[in-house]
Amino acid sequence: MDLGTIIWNTIALFLTVCIFSFLYKDNPFYKFAEHLVVGVSAGYFAIILFYNGFVPKVWIPVTTRGEWWYLLPAILGVMTWTRFSKKWAWISRFSIAFYMGIAVGVALPLEMQQRVVKQLHATMLPVHFMDIQGFWNLLIILGVLCGLVYFFFSVEHKGAVGGAARLGIWILMIGFGAGFGLTVMGRISLLADRIQFMREWYLMVTQALWGA
Amino acid sequence: MKVISFIRVLFFFLYFLLIASPLSFAQEDLSQSWFNPHRVNMLIFLIFFFAIIIYFIDRAKKGKSLFIRRIAGLDAIEEAVGRATEMGKPVLFIPGIEDIDQIQTVAAMIILGNVAKMVAAYDTPLFVPICRPMVVPVAEERVKEGYASAGRPDAYNRDNVRYISDEQFAYAAGVQGIMLRDRPAANLMFGSFFAESLMLAETGFLTGAIQVAGTANIHQLPFFVVACDYTIIGEELFASSAYLSKEPKLLGSLKGSDLTKAIIIGILALGAILETLGITQFTRWFFIE
Amino acid sequence: MRREIPIAICFLAGIFYTLELFIPHRQVLSIFETVRQWAQILIAFAYVLAIANILRVNFHAIQKNQRDWPYKVVLIVSLFFMITLGIFFGGIGEGTIFDWVYYHAQYPLQSTMFALLAFFIASAAFRAFRIRTLEAALLAVTAVLVMIGRVPVGEELWNNFPDFTEWIMNVPQLAGKRAIMIGAALGAISTALKVLTGLERTYLGGE
Repeated sequence: MDLGTIIWNTIALFLTVCIFSFLYKDNPFYKFAEHLVVGVSAGYFAIILFYNGFVPKVWIPVTTRGEWWYLLPAILGVMTWTRFSKKWAWISRFSIAFYMGIAVGVALPLEMQQRVVKQLHATMLPVHFMDIQGFWNLLIILGVLCGLVYFFFSVEHKGAVGGAARLGIWILMIGFGAGFGLTVMGRISLLADRIQFMREWYLMVTQALWGA
Repeated sequence: MKVISFIRVLFFFLYFLLIASPLSFAQEDLSQSWFNPHRVNMLIFLIFFFAIIIYFIDRAKKGKSLFIRRIAGLDAIEEAVGRATEMGKPVLFIPGIEDIDQIQTVAAMIILGNVAKMVAAYDTPLFVPICRPMVVPVAEERVKEGYASAGRPDAYNRDNVRYISDEQFAYAAGVQGIMLRDRPAANLMFGSFFAESLMLAETGFLTGAIQVAGTANIHQLPFFVVACDYTIIGEELFASSAYLSKEPKLLGSLKGSDLTKAIIIGILALGAILETLGITQFTRWFFIE
Repeated sequence: MRREIPIAICFLAGIFYTLELFIPHRQVLSIFETVRQWAQILIAFAYVLAIANILRVNFHAIQKNQRDWPYKVVLIVSLFFMITLGIFFGGIGEGTIFDWVYYHAQYPLQSTMFALLAFFIASAAFRAFRIRTLEAALLAVTAVLVMIGRVPVGEELWNNFPDFTEWIMNVPQLAGKRAIMIGAALGAISTALKVLTGLERTYLGGE
């Protein structure tokens, strides 16, 4: 085990403990770690975007392959910088609008496809009483219908609509409870990972110091 | 009359679906084609939905009055801002961690504009931590506009709209820092959230803030429901622009969206009945490769 | 013009990309892909706005000697430290100092933040079980049932506990999830349509 590895791992351990210290209360160690993670990650993203965005997608195509049209998005990008000037800030809207247009255009059919039509198809289930699944199918269909009724906005939730909406919110709450219960174990395993890291650090250091 | 026209639209749609020939799913090379015939169902759904929304927007423009039910979570925003003002503490608005290209973030920006107007009227500071660079200019503009429309452009502090980090947990750490040290009395969380949702909501709870959250991210909703005072669920988030602005055009689109939901309920029920009877042609129309 | 042209750009780009799903032509798809890359390039440039925002907000805090200002110095120094490492010390590849700092500073910080969720979920669960309404009771009871059903003790209590948990996931949870998904998608499509047609122009800001 070389000294460099021990030092780096000790730094990692120190930072881990700094973050965990939050569980006691807000303190200088946590504040230090918090500002460090924000600063490091902001710098990290700046560099990643430079090397994975600008260099391969603008610099190399334009300078080595002569694909000048890659300058167009660069110009759109530079246009966002007009935000620095009060007078010219409106120019940045062109870039934002272009970005929004692409995003909305991609999202529109995808939302319809994945979240409406596919879900509808999956919910059109046969209802029968030959086996228990046929009955469960009925419950799924009724659950989806009542859940959808809850999302009616232009109708008052009274009478039959109110009853269905109430049943709908119960179904949603059962779903939330299930989601919550399911996540608990996953979150605890994350903690186990960090504890494992601390244990490994302890073993590494004791081995380096005493060879045990 | 309304019911009759609704039924008419529904039957037209169903008739079209039933008489049209079923889709062919044979594998074929479409790389030279200009239209993917397997997606004709999607095209019909999109056109149909667009037509309904545009029709209702147009109707609303003509001055038809439209009812909209109460959404407790959206009403609670004003209550939360009022409480922060009484306590002399700031309001924190967290617009999720996704970029402006996400429709949820757009919805969050709409709510932000309304919140900015409220806080400006009350003269309460408003902090807006941001996770994505393209959201920064939009949020700045929304807050500035909110202050201006409340007649308080001088009260707008540009430093309160803060970019934190693109990294999810670094962002969460930065926002937790604001919660712990600036002690906002109202935390408003709207937009697209992931695992950080619980961190933010729990830290906000520990600081004693009144919390209102809204997202369409299904996996995060349980945490908001548990840790926040009010939760806006799924589509309610998108209804917020109409609800808060009460603008007829937007209310019209909400009405259109409701009609689509009613049609979907009809289709779903019919699909299930036909499946039960062993008629699968109708269901196949909703199959997507 | 300052509003109409951006709305027109948004509309054209939006319609263009809506068509992507319906046009399988190879050449057209390659145009779609190229333009999509443009959006990513745009983000890389827009990041300058983010960095400028960080510097402005934190420099102001330092200048005004605001509470906790020394930590703002830590933030700015660490930001420049990473940028310097990335540009002047061998780039970002494996084995570079930039990579080492990522794995030994940023990664443990992030994963420990993530691990804190174990404590947060425990405190949230504790609160969830203080039942006040019928809806809260439904949530709490289901959460407990699913939690028990997912650990070995559940099966010891009742043989069919794991199957029962599966049923909760596959019937009521699935129904609720689908209802939210369909509703939210319709809301999103409707909002997207308003953005596309310029009815919703929030993203453009004020005049």
